[in-house]
Amino acid sequence: MMPVTTTATHSMPAANRKWSRYRHPESTIRFAVILAILAFLGYSITYLNIDLSRILGAFPRLVEILATRYFPPDMNYVSDADFLRSVLRTLEMSLLGGFFGVVCSIPLAWLAARNITVSKRIAYPFGRFAIMSSRSIHETIWTILFVTVLGFGMLAGTLALTVFCVGFAGKLFSDELEAIDMGPVEALRSVGANPLQVFQYAVLPQVRVAFTGIAIYTWDVAFRAATVVGFFGGGGMGWYLKRTTQQMESTRVAAILLVIIGLVLLAEIGSGWLRKRIGKMR
Amino acid sequence: MSITAAPVSAHGFDAYLAHKRRRRINNWLLVACSVALLAWCFWDTIMFDTDWQRMGGALGIGGTLERFLLIDWSLLPKLLVPALETLMMATLGTILGCVFSLPVAWFGAANVTPSKYFFYPLGRFLMVLSRSIHEIIWALLFVGAVGLGALPGILAVAMRSVGFISKITAEAIENIDPKPVEAIRAVGGNQFQVMYYGIVPQILPVIIGTIIFEWDINIRRSAIMGLVGAGGLGLVFFRQMAMFNYGGVTLVVLAVLVLIAIGEVISHYARKAVI
Repeated sequence: MMPVTTTATHSMPAANRKWSRYRHPESTIRFAVILAILAFLGYSITYLNIDLSRILGAFPRLVEILATRYFPPDMNYVSDADFLRSVLRTLEMSLLGGFFGVVCSIPLAWLAARNITVSKRIAYPFGRFAIMSSRSIHETIWTILFVTVLGFGMLAGTLALTVFCVGFAGKLFSDELEAIDMGPVEALRSVGANPLQVFQYAVLPQVRVAFTGIAIYTWDVAFRAATVVGFFGGGGMGWYLKRTTQQMESTRVAAILLVIIGLVLLAEIGSGWLRKRIGKMR
Repeated sequence: MSITAAPVSAHGFDAYLAHKRRRRINNWLLVACSVALLAWCFWDTIMFDTDWQRMGGALGIGGTLERFLLIDWSLLPKLLVPALETLMMATLGTILGCVFSLPVAWFGAANVTPSKYFFYPLGRFLMVLSRSIHEIIWALLFVGAVGLGALPGILAVAMRSVGFISKITAEAIENIDPKPVEAIRAVGGNQFQVMYYGIVPQILPVIIGTIIFEWDINIRRSAIMGLVGAGGLGLVFFRQMAMFNYGGVTLVVLAVLVLIAIGEVISHYARKAVI
C-alpha cells in the first residue's frame, strides 16, 4: 500500500519508472522472513523426528481404530446413575466457574482497559498481567495445580475453571471496554463523578448487552473445558474418561466421548440461541 | 433497556405502567432463579463434595503453597530446549491445521462450496466437531492411532485449530467482492485461476492475521502435550509433578508465561507487518 501513496505524492514522471514485481526492501524482507519460517519448519520436523508419511496415514488409522475397537459404544455405561450424576456435576462446575470468573473479570477488565482504567501506571499493568497470566496457562495446568494444593474434588475443578474464565472473559471484556464512546465518560468526569460512578452510569449502560453475550459465551467455553478437568482429578465426567482410557475399555470411552460431543453441541446451540436473542434486545 | 417499546393502547399511560411493572417482576424472578441455581450448585459441588479434612485447614494449604513458592532455579538451564520444542510443536501444529482447514473452509463457504447439499453441511459439521472436542481428547485419540511422541501432540493441536481457522476463512470467502471473480471468469480463467487470482488475494490478510492469532493460542496448547509424550515444557511439567518437586513446577509455569509473552510480542509485530 505504501509505495502507491508515495508515488502519488512525489511528482515523479511515471514514464521513468520501470515497473517490476520485485521491490527492493519489501520483497527482500518478505523473502527472508518466508525463508526463515520454512527453515525453522524444516529444522523442527527433523528435530522432533516426525515421519511425514505418518501424518496422512493417521486418519485412515484413526477411522480403522474407531471402527474396530471403539465401535459399539457401550451406552449402558453412560446411562448409569453415577455417570449421569457426574454429568450434572460437570454442568454445575461450569456454571459456578463461569459465574465466579465473570464476576472477577469485570473489575480486572475495568483496570485493564486503557481508556477508563483507574491509574495507567499501577492498575493498568496489574489488570493486564492478571488477565494475561490466567489466559496463558492452560486450564489443565491450573487444574493440576489446584488439585495439588486443595485435594481432589470439584473445588479444585471449579477454581481452575474460574481462573480460566477470568482469562477468557477478561480479555473480551477489556476489548469491549476499550471500544466504548468516551463522551458520557468525560461528561460524568467533568461534573465530578468518582471512578465508580463513572463506571456505573457511563460505562456499564454501553456495554451491558455485549457483556451478557460474552458471559454466556464464557459459560459455553467453560463447559467445554469442564468436561476434561476431571481427567486430572477436578471432578465431573472427566474422571470417568480417565478411568476408562487407562483400563483400555474402548467401547466405554467411545460412549463417553459421544456424550461429551453431544453435550458440547447442545451447549453451543443453546448459547448461540441465547446470544442471538440478547443481541436483538440492543 | 429503560426505553422499551411501550404498548400504545386505549389505556395509554396505565398500560405503560403495567407493562413496566411486569418487566420488573420478570427481571426479579430471573435474578431470584439464577441466585437459587448458583446457591444450589455451590452447595452441591463445593460444600458437599470437598474433603475439608484432607485439606488440613489454612495451615496445610499454606504448607503446600510454600513448597510451590520456593522456586527451584537450578532447573532453569534445562528448560531452554523444551521451550524451543514447545514452540516448534505449536508452529508445526498451526501449519498443519492450516493445511487441514483449506478443504474445510472450501466446503464450508456458501458461495464456493462444490455442493450445497452435501459438502456445505459437511464442512460446517467438521468445523463444529473440531472445536467441540478438547485437545486432550484429540491427543488421546491420536496416541491410539500413531503412538506416543511429538506427532499425536502436533496432530491434536492441528485438529483443534482447524475449527477456528476454517470458520474465519469461510466467512472471509463469503464476504469477498465478487467482481474480480467475475472478471477472471469473463476472460476465461479456469477454476484454479479464479481461486488463485480472484479469491486468495482478497482474503489473505484476514487469514494471515487469524493464523498468527491461532499460533499464539497453540503455544499454550502445546505446552500441555507432554501428557502424550510429546516432549516440550509439558513433559518437564508432568515429570516435576511426579517427583513432587513443586518448586520446579512453579518454574515451568513461569517459563510457559515467558514463552507466551514472547509469542505475543512476535505475533504483535507480525500482525502489524501484515495489516
